[in-house]
Amino acid sequence: MKRESGWWLLAPALLLLLVAFVVPVAMMVPMSFRPYVPLVGITDGFTVRYYTRLLTDSYYLEIIGRTLALGFTVTLSTLVIGYPVAFFLARTRSRWRSWLTILVVFPLMLNLVVRTFGWIALLAQNGLVNQALRALGLVDSPVKLLFNFAGLLIAMTHIFLPFMVLVLIGAIQNIPRDVEDAARILGASWGSTFCRVTLPLSAPGILSGSILVFVLTISALVTPRLLGGPTYQVMSTLIYDEFLQRLNWPAGSAQALLLTVMVLALVYLSGRLARSTGARA
Amino acid sequence: MTAPALTVRRLRKAFGSVVAVDEVSLDAAPGEFLSLLGPSGCGKSTLLRMVAGLVEPDDGQVVLAGEDITRVAVHRRNLGLVFQSYALFPHMTVFENVAFGLRRRGVGETLLGPRVERMLELVRLGPLGSRYPRELSGGQQQRVALARALVTEPRVLLLDEPLSNLDALLRDEMRVELKRLQERLGTTMIFVTHDQAEALILSDRVVVMEQGRVEQIGRPEEVYRHPATPFVARFLGRANFLNGTVAEGESDRTVVALDGGGLSITAGPRQGFASGRPVHVVIRQESIRLEPPRAAPAPDAGVNHFAATIVFHAFAGQAHHYVVQLADGRELEVAAPGATLPLARGARTLIAWRPEDVILLPGGEPRPSDPR
Repeated sequence: MKRESGWWLLAPALLLLLVAFVVPVAMMVPMSFRPYVPLVGITDGFTVRYYTRLLTDSYYLEIIGRTLALGFTVTLSTLVIGYPVAFFLARTRSRWRSWLTILVVFPLMLNLVVRTFGWIALLAQNGLVNQALRALGLVDSPVKLLFNFAGLLIAMTHIFLPFMVLVLIGAIQNIPRDVEDAARILGASWGSTFCRVTLPLSAPGILSGSILVFVLTISALVTPRLLGGPTYQVMSTLIYDEFLQRLNWPAGSAQALLLTVMVLALVYLSGRLARSTGARA
Repeated sequence: MTAPALTVRRLRKAFGSVVAVDEVSLDAAPGEFLSLLGPSGCGKSTLLRMVAGLVEPDDGQVVLAGEDITRVAVHRRNLGLVFQSYALFPHMTVFENVAFGLRRRGVGETLLGPRVERMLELVRLGPLGSRYPRELSGGQQQRVALARALVTEPRVLLLDEPLSNLDALLRDEMRVELKRLQERLGTTMIFVTHDQAEALILSDRVVVMEQGRVEQIGRPEEVYRHPATPFVARFLGRANFLNGTVAEGESDRTVVALDGGGLSITAGPRQGFASGRPVHVVIRQESIRLEPPRAAPAPDAGVNHFAATIVFHAFAGQAHHYVVQLADGRELEVAAPGATLPLARGARTLIAWRPEDVILLPGGEPRPSDPR
């Protein structure tokens, strides 16, 4: 008798993916090539102008560059801040451990809009951060932290940190202690053991945490909209405006498809990287 | 006498209220193969980890070739440790795994290559240097772990149940290989195991541990033939335990009257037990002979001769296992060589053993829990 392969277990998820993702994305492809005429709407015809504009106009290139830069810096800062936290939580035998883990996850339980407004209160011209900086005599005039890169970086690092920490905890817990002990006994100091054994073996976790945070960052809408204001645009806010403010669906479709392609390319490249290096771990 | 390669003095470690290792002291001579044998949870692994420096002792000293290393950092001790889990570096090739310790010691590339190759040859992994650990079998992985630990020429090699993850056949092979490697290199080895056969076969001396304490230290024959405590007698080999009281404590023999009356057992000379002393009588199951029943089994047929009935029989390859019942209902386990004709269940027989094979241990205290 033939053994059941088990592929049918994927059917519900595949169906959902098809209806909710593949079909809409596929529908956007023809949409992105149709001309939009102001005051008339979407007309019949064929044009590639939304793509050429996106890839040549400095206004759009700046937004694409800013989105990618934000993605990379938020990923890097969550990694730098999150790794020590995850390392501690994965290794501690303290009875507070589960409470500390809950503390890490806690921000996720608050509404995103509420958290973002919190950052507005903190980062505003007269916000707590600026008041504190002035009280300490570190600055004379208020530092601009809203409607620019710094504000988005700070807030999004905070918002996506739990994802990074949770993924890293899992990865670090998977490293057998014996392997690290073996390195120590063979003459490696703590630092050397960390660099040559612990860090390489947590590479798969670093990679998946980074992909997760990067994708979440470049596709985030609420936080960039509220903290960036109407003028400091990233790709997601641009797409939102294109669809819902200017009603230029073809342009919005072209931008959305570019974002999708960027994300897919990144996931594919990381997969390649994981296979060539991290897969051994 | 040469100075011991390793000395452990009154080493102690408690985890919370549980004392894992309780004032253990022992020596290992240079080139000696010393086993720490005991059931799981007896503290043998904790003791080994304290020697390695992975666990900090509460009290006591670890002395390596005359140098107190109790507070020396793990990576400065120059010891080798082989783990039950192998603990190979999964992201490095076999060659890099073995080279790891040499690189940490700053051995240059020109010297390093030949040393690693030679060690891989020695553990019969010569052509596998470029493989990754996950591409190797369990036995091969354990050989990499051995090579990795030995290539740095550690002062003492510690082995924590290194063969326990291997299947039975491979384990036997690795035992032989390990022993030959040790004889060839002359490395002092401290070997932790819960497998009594392994400890007996491999060791120069065996340290039997229970509940954080040393029960007995001795050569394999010594601990097997002359166990110091009921625990050791129970843990090594299979034995019958009978309780009794010394009836006659003479110079050439000791006679023990078993509790429950009726039977008395004669043990060899110089057991040093006074009359009236409660004792455990320990008879190894392979010490008992089965003889054909005589026409009229007289009680004076000889000492330690008893009529019995077979109540259970099983064939186990090297031996037949029997459970026999004596006239008073007592049951004894017997292992008879595989060649002898099997006796059927219900058959009448005569069992006998030599007085020299009887082990007497002080009794009276509560029975220790069975190690199995």
